[in-house]
Amino acid sequence: MSEQVDADAASSLARLVRDEGRAVLATLARRLGDLGLAEDAVQEASVQALTTWARDGVPSSPRAWLTAAARNRAIDRIRREAVRSDKESAAVRMLEGEPEPVSPSAVNDDLLRLVFTCCHPSLAADTQVALSLHTLCGLTTPEVARALLVGEGAMAKRLTRARQKIAVAKIPYRVPPDHELPDRLAAVATTVYLVFNEGYAATTGDDHVRRALADEAIRLGRLLLGLLPGEPSLQGLLGLMVLQHARREARVDADGGLVLLVDQDRSKWDRAAVVEGTWLVGEGLRRTPDRPDPYVVQAAIAACHALAPTYADTDWRAIVSWYDVLLTVQDTPIVRLNRAAAVAELDGAASALAIVDDLTGLEHYPLWHGARAELLHRLGRPADSADALRTALCLPVSRPVRRLLERRLDAVDP
Amino acid sequence: MAFVFMVKLAISADATERTTAMPTYAAIIYSKDVDWTQPEHAAEMKEYGEFSATAAAIIRGGAALYPTSTATTVRVEGGKGGDVVTTDGPYAETKDALTGFYLLECDDLDEAVAAAAKLPAAWDGAVEVRPVIPLG
Repeated sequence: MSEQVDADAASSLARLVRDEGRAVLATLARRLGDLGLAEDAVQEASVQALTTWARDGVPSSPRAWLTAAARNRAIDRIRREAVRSDKESAAVRMLEGEPEPVSPSAVNDDLLRLVFTCCHPSLAADTQVALSLHTLCGLTTPEVARALLVGEGAMAKRLTRARQKIAVAKIPYRVPPDHELPDRLAAVATTVYLVFNEGYAATTGDDHVRRALADEAIRLGRLLLGLLPGEPSLQGLLGLMVLQHARREARVDADGGLVLLVDQDRSKWDRAAVVEGTWLVGEGLRRTPDRPDPYVVQAAIAACHALAPTYADTDWRAIVSWYDVLLTVQDTPIVRLNRAAAVAELDGAASALAIVDDLTGLEHYPLWHGARAELLHRLGRPADSADALRTALCLPVSRPVRRLLERRLDAVDP
Repeated sequence: MAFVFMVKLAISADATERTTAMPTYAAIIYSKDVDWTQPEHAAEMKEYGEFSATAAAIIRGGAALYPTSTATTVRVEGGKGGDVVTTDGPYAETKDALTGFYLLECDDLDEAVAAAAKLPAAWDGAVEVRPVIPLG
C-alpha cells in the first residue's frame, strides 16, 4: 500500500516537474534566444528538482524555483563554453539583470511561441511530432524514441538536427500574425492529432508506452485550448480525441485484439469523457455556423457514435449528413470510405458497395479491401468477399488488424 | 543580365543600411534548364528584375547561371593531388537544374520563405532556402 502511495507521489511529482518545466522552458527560450540551450538548462534543473523536492518537499512556488535553477544552469553553461557569440553574452547579462516574475499572460504567450516553433511548417511532420513530445510534453529522448518506434540514436540525431535547424535557419520564436494564424493552427492541430494517432492506433511496439501518447496528445490539446480559449478548431480537436479515447477500454480485448464498434461493450466507455467531448462539439459548432471546421465535424461524428445507446440505435442519417458536411471541407478517399460504412447501415450494402467501388487510389489501403469484403459478405457473395480479404492480407498491416482480417476470412471461407 | 545587374546595385546601395547581425540565407533556384540570355526568356528575366528591385533591401548578392549544357564537372580521382577528371555537364541529372541563387539577409526563416515565394522559380520549379554560415 505504502509502495503504491510512494509510486503515486513520485509520478505526480514527475508530472509537476514536467508541466512547470515546460512553462519555464518557454520563457527561458525567449530570453536566451536559443531553444537548445534552454532545453538543456531546464532538463538539468528538472533532474535537480526531482531529487531535491522528493527529499525536502515541493517549494511554495515550484515555477520560481525551477526558473531560478534553470537560469543558473544556463548561465553556467554559457560561461563554461569559452567561445560564445556576443548575442549569448548579452543573454547572460539579460538573464542576470532581468527580474524574476513573469505574468501568467506572458507565460501563456511564451508557451504559444514554443508550440508554433515546434510545429513550424519548415520542419518535417515526424520531426514536429518528435519535438512536440520532447519539448512540449517533456518526454526524454529515449522515451520519445520508444514511443515512436525509432532507435534511440536515430531519435537523438533527429532532435539534434531539428534544434540545429531552429537555431541556424532561425525559425522564429513567435506567435504568427493573425492572417497566418488559421493555417498555422491547422498545422499545430495536425501534429497533435498525429501524436494522438500514434497512441490511439498503437498496435506494435511497447503498447503501454505508445498508448500513453494518446494521453499526452489530449494534454497538449488541453494546453492549446487553454492558450487560445474558444478557438473552434482546438475545441474540435480536443473533442475528437476525448471522444475516441473514451472507447479505449472497449476497443481492445483481453488478448490485445481489436474489437469493432459493433461488438464493443458500451458500458466500458468513459461516460465523463463522452460528456466532455460532446460539450466541446457543441461549443465548436456554435462558433463555426457558416464555415465547418474539419475537427469539429469529425468530433460531431464521434459524438453521434458515443451517444448511441446501442449500435442498432445509432443515428446513421445524422452521421451520413455529417460526412457530407465533412466532404465540403475535406474531400479525401478515406473520408468517402468512412462515409460509405455509414451509408451501408442507412441504405444497405449495395449502395455502399457502389460508393466504395467508385473510389480510386485506395488499392494499397488494407481497410478499403476490408470494407469491400464486409459489404460483399452482406450481399451474399462469399467468394468475392474472401478474395478481398486475401488481397488485404497481402498488404502491410499491423498484427491486430491482420488477426481481425484472418478471423473474417475464416468466417467467410471456412 | 538584368537580375545580376540589379543585385549589384542592391549591394552597393544597401549593404550598410542594416547594422544588426541578421542571418543570411541562400535562395537557391531550381528551374527549367534554359539559356536565360535568349530573347524568348526576356519576360521571365524581367520578373527577376522586378524581384531584385522590390527585394533590394534584403538582397546581399546572387548570380544567374548559364544552362547545365555549359557546365563542366570536375573530380580529382584518388583525392587531393590525384588525376583531374572532367566530365561534360552537371553532376546530377534532374528535372530542374540549379540555375542561380540570391543571398538574402532576413530577420528570420519566415521572412526568407516569404521572399523566396516571390521568385518566379518557386512558381514552376523550386527554391531551396538555406542559412549561410557566417564566416570571419
